[in-house]
Amino acid sequence: MRWFAFFSLILVQCSLSAAHSGEEYHEELKLRPLPDGKLAARFAFTTLLKGAIPRAPTNLTVNDESQHYTLFPLAMGQLLREYAITELHLTLNAGKWDYDRWGYPEEPGVGSGAELWTWMGDGAPTSIDERWKAIQNAHAGLFCASLGSMDTQRTTSPTRAFPPTGDLPRLPAPHVHRLRHATLPAEHVCTENLTPFLKLLPCPAHAGIAALLAPHKVFDADWHGLGVHVRWRAGKGVELVMTVQAVFDPVRMSAERKRDWSFHSVFDRTIPRSCPVATTSLIHVELPPPGDGSYTLNPAPSTANQAVATFSISKDLPELDVTMKWGEESRFAYPLDASSTPLSDFSVQRTLKGSSQTHGQLSIVIRNNRPTELSVLYLETMPWHVEFYLHTLRITGPDGQQCNDLFSNMTYTPPVPHAQPAMLQAMLTLPPLTTLRLTMDARKSFLRYTEHPPDAQRGWDLPPAVFVTQSASGGASKRVYTPALLVDLATPDFSMPYNVIIMSCTLIALIFGSLFNILTRRFVVVKVDGNVPKVQ
Amino acid sequence: MATLREKLKSALGSGDNSAKIRRRRAMTASLWRNLSVLRVALLVTGYVWMLALPSSQLGQGTYIDENALQPGQVNTYWSWADVRRADDYLKDLELLRDRNASSEERAAYFATEFAKLGIPPSTQKYALRSSTLASEGTNAYAVFSSPRASGAEAVVISASWLSHTDGFNLRGLATVLSLSAFLKQYSHWSKDIIFILSDGYLDGMHAWLSAYHGSSQSNMQVEPLELTSGVIWTALNIDYPGHSFSHLGVFREGLNGRLPNQDLINSFRLISHHTGGVPVLLYDHHDPSDFPGRQDILKIFPAWTPKRVTDNKDVMEYGYRAKNILRHVGYQARGRASGVHGLLHQFRIDAITLFAVPSNGPHGFHALGRTVESTLRTMNNLLERLHASFFFYIMATPGTFLKIGTYLPSAVLVAVALMFGGLGEWVNAGWVEVLDQDAGATDKQSAALIHAKRWVQRSRDVIPALGIVISTHVAGAALFSVVSSSWFMANQQTYTFPVILLASLLPLLTLLLPSSGDPTSQAPLPILLKSATLCLSSTLISVTSVLNFSLAALLAVALGVPVSLAAPAHSMITRLLRYLLYAALGLGWLALGQEMRQAVWHWEVLGVWFAPLVCVVYTPMMLQAGIVCLLSP
Repeated sequence: MRWFAFFSLILVQCSLSAAHSGEEYHEELKLRPLPDGKLAARFAFTTLLKGAIPRAPTNLTVNDESQHYTLFPLAMGQLLREYAITELHLTLNAGKWDYDRWGYPEEPGVGSGAELWTWMGDGAPTSIDERWKAIQNAHAGLFCASLGSMDTQRTTSPTRAFPPTGDLPRLPAPHVHRLRHATLPAEHVCTENLTPFLKLLPCPAHAGIAALLAPHKVFDADWHGLGVHVRWRAGKGVELVMTVQAVFDPVRMSAERKRDWSFHSVFDRTIPRSCPVATTSLIHVELPPPGDGSYTLNPAPSTANQAVATFSISKDLPELDVTMKWGEESRFAYPLDASSTPLSDFSVQRTLKGSSQTHGQLSIVIRNNRPTELSVLYLETMPWHVEFYLHTLRITGPDGQQCNDLFSNMTYTPPVPHAQPAMLQAMLTLPPLTTLRLTMDARKSFLRYTEHPPDAQRGWDLPPAVFVTQSASGGASKRVYTPALLVDLATPDFSMPYNVIIMSCTLIALIFGSLFNILTRRFVVVKVDGNVPKVQ
Repeated sequence: MATLREKLKSALGSGDNSAKIRRRRAMTASLWRNLSVLRVALLVTGYVWMLALPSSQLGQGTYIDENALQPGQVNTYWSWADVRRADDYLKDLELLRDRNASSEERAAYFATEFAKLGIPPSTQKYALRSSTLASEGTNAYAVFSSPRASGAEAVVISASWLSHTDGFNLRGLATVLSLSAFLKQYSHWSKDIIFILSDGYLDGMHAWLSAYHGSSQSNMQVEPLELTSGVIWTALNIDYPGHSFSHLGVFREGLNGRLPNQDLINSFRLISHHTGGVPVLLYDHHDPSDFPGRQDILKIFPAWTPKRVTDNKDVMEYGYRAKNILRHVGYQARGRASGVHGLLHQFRIDAITLFAVPSNGPHGFHALGRTVESTLRTMNNLLERLHASFFFYIMATPGTFLKIGTYLPSAVLVAVALMFGGLGEWVNAGWVEVLDQDAGATDKQSAALIHAKRWVQRSRDVIPALGIVISTHVAGAALFSVVSSSWFMANQQTYTFPVILLASLLPLLTLLLPSSGDPTSQAPLPILLKSATLCLSSTLISVTSVLNFSLAALLAVALGVPVSLAAPAHSMITRLLRYLLYAALGLGWLALGQEMRQAVWHWEVLGVWFAPLVCVVYTPMMLQAGIVCLLSP
C-alpha cells in the first residue's frame, strides 16, 4: 500500500511537471460585520495553473494536448480548452444587494439571477456566437442552471462596462478578442447549483474553508451568490477563482435578537481540519469601527491590526469556530440614521413607471453621496420588448432644471424586434451631494402569442442596469448593479383558446354559409298573390 | 357539382318560393303588429331578472381556481408576544391621537418605529386640492426587502389613519406595525413587502400610489418616493376601528367598478375561517341565520313588513342577499371605492380591505394577525399574477356568487327592448298611413275605409333631431363644468336652484322651432328624436354592461321606462307637465347636495367617471325625452 501511494505520488509529480510547471490552490474567507447587524461573508477558492496560456482560437482545428490536472477542475479545464475561452465570468445570485447599507461587495458581480460574460478571440473555424452558445450549454450542464436560454435576444457586447479583468494574449492580425454578455434576471439559485460547484473544489465540504458551506444555511442568507471567474494573467498563468458570497442576518437567526455570530450559528458547521493541498488558507474578519460597542473575538487571531484580524488554518490546527460577541448588548439596536449615512458613493433607484400596457417611463434617480464630483459609466441593456424613445431622455437636477449636458460619450445599439436587445452606454457626471433624475419614455411591445413564456401572467424580467465608477486617481473601478425590473406586457388570456376557437369557427361558418348561399342561389321572379313582383 | 345543383333546384321549386315569401311577410307583419307587446315583454323580463338576482336559486358556491394559492396550508407563528407588541404600539397611537398630533408627527413616529425594527422607512408629504375641499398630509411607509428576493415583485399591507366608519383606525395601524416586526423574522417571503401607513382616508393612499406609479395630476402635489420596490401584485388593507371584533368583513369594490380577482377573497375567507377562526362577512352585513329568532335586529326589512313574511326562511335569505347585492351596486354603480384598497385596482393590483366588524368580542389582534399572516403566505405562493378566477362577479353571500352569464342578460334585455323601440320609431318616422283620396267620398263604410288606407313613405330629416341631441349633450357638459367649479361648490345652497331652473328652462327653446311641415311628407321631429334617444340609451346600457354591470343596471332602471314612455301630447298643459316630470328626473340629483359634492370630489381627485357620466349622458337623455313630450306632435 505504501509503495502504491509512493508510486502514484511520483506519477502525479511527473504529470504535473509535464503539463505545467505547477498548480497552486489558495482559499480565503472574508467576514465583514455590517452596521445593520448583518454579516457579509465571501469565500474565494483560487486555483492558479502556473504558466498556462489560453488556447489560441486558430488552434481549434488541431487536436489539443492532453489535459492533466491535480487541483484545477478537469471539467472546467476541458471547457476552457474546447472553446478557447480567454476570460469567463459566471455568477448566480439571489437577492438584492443593498449598496447603501452593505457597501460594495468583494466580488462586483451581484446582479440578481444569472450573469455570464466571456472574452474570446476570433479566428476559430466556428464563429464567436456559435462558441458562445456552446459555452452557455456546457456551463448550464456543469452548474445545473438554465443558462441555455441566453439567446441572441439577451446577448450584448458592452465592452466599456465589462473590460477584461486579466490580460488578453496577443492574437495574429486581424483577429481580436470579443466580448459576449448576457443576463437571466429570473434565474433562481439553489442547492442544485451549489453541489456541482463544490465538486469542482479540491477540498469539497469536508476540509478547509469549504467545509463551512452548508446549503441549508447558505441558502437561508438574505443575499447569496456563486461565482466562477477565469482569467489569464500574463506571466503567471490561468487563474480560476470560485467564489461564494452571502449576507447573513445573525439578528434574525438568534432568539434574543443579538448580532453575535459564530461559525456554528451562521454556517451550522465549523472547520474540522485544514485542506492539505491548500497553499494558503486564511480567514479575515473585518473588525467593527471603534465606536461600535465592545466586542470579543474568539479564538485569538493569528495576526491582527486595527481593521482586520486574520486566522491562518494550519495543518496542526484543531477544530476552528470563530466567534464574535458584543457582550454588553442585550439585543441589537438598529441604527436609526441608516438612510442618511450610506456606505456607497452613490445610490441608484431604477423603476419602470406607468401602469399602461403600451407605454411606460424608465426613471432613474441617482444621488451622489460624496462631496466630490463623480463620473460613472451608465450601461442599460434592454430586451426589445421595451423600446426606448431616446429623444425623450431628460436629466433633471434637484431644482427641476434640465441638465442634459451631464450625459456624454453615448453609444447606442438600437434593438431589432424579435432578435436583438438594445444597449445604451454613456458617461454620467454626478455633481457633489446632488440628486439627479433621469427619465426616458419607453414603448412596450406587443408580442406574438408564441413568444410569451409559460408563465405569461408574471411579466418579463428586465436585466439590471450597471453603473461603473470611473475614478480619476486610477483606482479600481467599481461595478454597481441596480435591482432587476418586471414589466407587464399585453398578455392574452391563455386559458381561453377554446373560446377563441369557437368564436372564430362560428364567424367562419357564418361567412361561408351566407357566401355559399348567395353563390348557389338562383334568382327568379316570383309572383306572390298578384302583388307587385318581387325579386328574391 | 351538377347533381348538387339539381338537388338545390328541386329543393327551391318555384311553388315553394312564393309560399316562403308569404311566410316571411306574415312573420314580419306579426312582429310589427306585436312590437309593443314584445318591447314590454323584454322590459319586464329584464326587470324581473334583476329582481331575481338575490334569489337563492341563482348563484353558485365559490371555489379556489389558482392551484398555487394553497390557502390555509401553513402553520402560523403569530403569537401573543406579537399581540403584546401591537398593544404597545396602540398605546403610543392613542397618545398621538389624544394630543391631536399633526400628520408630520405621526409619520415621524411611524418612520422611527420602522427604523427601530431595521426596515428602511420613509415619509411622503402630499397636498390635494379640489373644488370641494383641499387636504394635505404625510404618509409613512417602509419597504422590507425580502431575503433572497430580487425585489421585482411586491405585496402591500396598508392601513389608513381614518377608518371608513368615521373613527380612527388605530388598531389597524398597530396591527401593521406589529406585523412588520413579525414578518421580518422569516426568510420565506418571495416578494418584497411594502407597509403603508397612509394619512387621511383615501387621499393619502392616492398620493402614495400616484407617486409610486408615476402618474401625476394638476391638482395634487406629491413628494417623490425615496424607496421603491417592484411591481405590486396584491394588497391587503386593514381597517380595525373598534375595540374587538366578531367577524371580518370583506370590502372589494374599487374605483369605476373594478373588482379584484375572486381568488383573493375566497382564499381570505377560507383562511379566516380555518386558520383565524373568524367568520367572514360581506361588508358588515350579518347573516340572519346567525341570529335565529332575532333576525329583526338586522333590519334587513323595513319595520312595516308583516312578521309572518319576514319570519319565512326563504324571504329572509332573499332579503339578506338583496342587501348584499344592493350595497355592491351602490358602490359599483357610483364608481366608489368601498375602502382604501379600491384605489389600487386601477394599477392592476388585486386588493381587498379586511374590516374588523366592531363588537364586544371575541376576537382581537391575535386572530387578525394569524389571518393576515396566513393570507400573506398564500399571496407569497403566487408565481404569476392572479388571473385564473373571476374578475366579473356579484357576491350574494360570502360563499356564493353570480357568474357574469347569470346577471348580464338582465340589463342587456332592457337594452334590447330600447333598441327595438328605437328601430320601431325609426320605421314609424319613415312611413305614414294616409287615406287614399282616390277611393272616393268620406262617408264610405268602415270596411271600405280600411281598404282605402295606404302607407306612404315620408322623408326623415334627422338633422334637427341630431341637433337637439348634440345640443343637450353640450348643455350637459356645460352644466358639469358649472357644478364642478369651485365657485359653485362654495355657494352650493344659493346656486343649486337657479342652476336647476336655468337647465330646465333651456330646452323650452325647442318650442320656438318651426313646426315640421306636412306629416305625410315630412317625419315629425318628436318621433325622430325619440328614436335617436332610444337607440342611444340602448347602446349606452349594453356597452356599459360589460364594463360596470351595476352602472348598466342603474341606467337600465333609470332610463328604460321613462325613455320608452316619452310621447308627445296635444294639450299644451299636458306637454308642459310631462316635460317638467322628465326635467325633475333628469336634474333632481342636483338637489342631493352632499352626494353631489362627493361625486365631484371623486371625479376631480380620483378620476371616477360617475359625475361626468350623469351630467353629460344621463341628464341630456332625460331632457331629450322631455323635449319629445314637449314638442308638438
